[in-house]
Amino acid sequence: MSTGGSHRWVVLSPLSLFLLAVLSVLPLWVQDEYLLQLLISSLLLGSQAMAFDFTAGFINVINFGFSAFVGAGAYTSALLVLHWGISPWLGPLGGAVASAALGFFSGVLTLRLQGIYAAVMTWFVGLTLLSLTASLSGLTRGYRGLNVPLFLETAARRPYFYIIFGVTFLTFVSLRWTGSSRVGLAFRAIGQNLESARASGVNPTKYRVINFTLSCAFAGLLGGFYAHFLGILTPDVMHSRQTVEVLALAYIGGRGSLWGGLVAAFIFVPLFEYLKPLMELRLVIYGVLLILVMIWCPGGLAAIYTQLKQQVRWPFMQR
Amino acid sequence: MILELQGISKRFGGLVALKDISLNLDEGQILGLIGPNGAGKTTLLNVISGSLRPDNGYIRYQGKEISKLSSDRRCQKGISRTFQISRPFSKMTVLENVMVAAIFGDRSQKQEPPRDRALSALRFVQFSIDENTLAENLNTVQLKRLDLARALASNPSLLLLDEIAAGLTPLELADLVGVIRHTRERGVTIIVVEHLMRMILRLCDKIVVLHYGEKIAEGTPEEICQDKRVADAYLGENYLL
Repeated sequence: MSTGGSHRWVVLSPLSLFLLAVLSVLPLWVQDEYLLQLLISSLLLGSQAMAFDFTAGFINVINFGFSAFVGAGAYTSALLVLHWGISPWLGPLGGAVASAALGFFSGVLTLRLQGIYAAVMTWFVGLTLLSLTASLSGLTRGYRGLNVPLFLETAARRPYFYIIFGVTFLTFVSLRWTGSSRVGLAFRAIGQNLESARASGVNPTKYRVINFTLSCAFAGLLGGFYAHFLGILTPDVMHSRQTVEVLALAYIGGRGSLWGGLVAAFIFVPLFEYLKPLMELRLVIYGVLLILVMIWCPGGLAAIYTQLKQQVRWPFMQR
Repeated sequence: MILELQGISKRFGGLVALKDISLNLDEGQILGLIGPNGAGKTTLLNVISGSLRPDNGYIRYQGKEISKLSSDRRCQKGISRTFQISRPFSKMTVLENVMVAAIFGDRSQKQEPPRDRALSALRFVQFSIDENTLAENLNTVQLKRLDLARALASNPSLLLLDEIAAGLTPLELADLVGVIRHTRERGVTIIVVEHLMRMILRLCDKIVVLHYGEKIAEGTPEEICQDKRVADAYLGENYLL
């Protein structure tokens, strides 16, 4: 399934393997529960940013309803566990399937439209899902919040870190692999020039729907893990401000890079946590950062890294 | 007959871009499409390639009606095109650009891997730059060549070239004419939209002249040169034949 250069089939670069390895052994030293919690939050938001970027950075459609698909996965997983008694370990899979189905149908409806209209429609889908969740209070308990069974009996954070780390790793590798496959080539072609993609025989609607469905499936999966990690759900998980935060991380990280959003999450999630007074202004700051990134460095952190890589010859990397 | 247009009309609001155009094209021919700016040449290419739907008329390709097919389906069926202004996938490498068409545009032959077919298309158009260069780093002339390679990589039966010679030096032009002739020798039927009369006259078996969306003449290069209406409408004193 490789597309181009001689080593495209290698999904992970040595550097990303190294960083992932460092991350995986970090909890062996980090004893502080609070710090672990921060790492988990970064992983959760970062992997959402990757799933978001899979659509925004590849097919150039911005899913403004992204968090609603995360939320749909979270609620589906929670309700499956609560009402059907299935294991919390399987719940997120149900969440992924539900969000993928939702993504597929809204994709079929909206993705025939050109860029901005598709984006607006995804936003409406998101708003609809949010109000549905809030108003179906017999099922979801609405804003009173739904108590969700946790994965584990323990309150210790370290096991949860490894669960979420595993999901992040799975998300990263799957998206990366798909992105560098033939299908991924079609995604990028559509995102970079719709007219040329058509003239090259790529069916835009088909591949957009495939991409959107996949992205929503991962949103749902991550939502499920979020639910059984946090233990409580309110319709707020579906709010557009969650989407904006994910969008900001993905864009600051670098559109189309996938990993950029994860790196950005590890910078900004802890940063805001330590600058508690700024927490309220979070979206304002993200907004300003987004504008700055757009003006000065549209490629985000990923572009900065590429430039560095061209200038410095790292001993363990060969270009 | 590989392509048959019957009564094609297209209007944009009040502007009649194409008016009742009919034309036939035999397999292996090179057809030149000429006319002043705004005559409807690119519009006609867009109608044939499927990026525009005509208001009236039908298009028959290899004996089948294709008016309802999308441009990606038409590409898969063997109609491919280049663009007047190149539209590369700018964040992809040269090779990846061509591979998109080799993978998705060519549904016929599967024995040779797409990567090899893309590379041979690049070789065929004598693309001299490293194929791992990002398309955004190419200049206009290189982009035109890339666009041609992309169009060829989908293994077309009918190739539409929209002002591919614009901005080329005489030497590059001679190369290009060679490439187009070679393409025809492979059995590809070609429609060339071009302003350069010298090239059109040298290359084409048949010429169609458009003027304000109407077909005012059709014939061999010799016939076109002697046509009074063509001279009046289009060639004028600026064009020395």
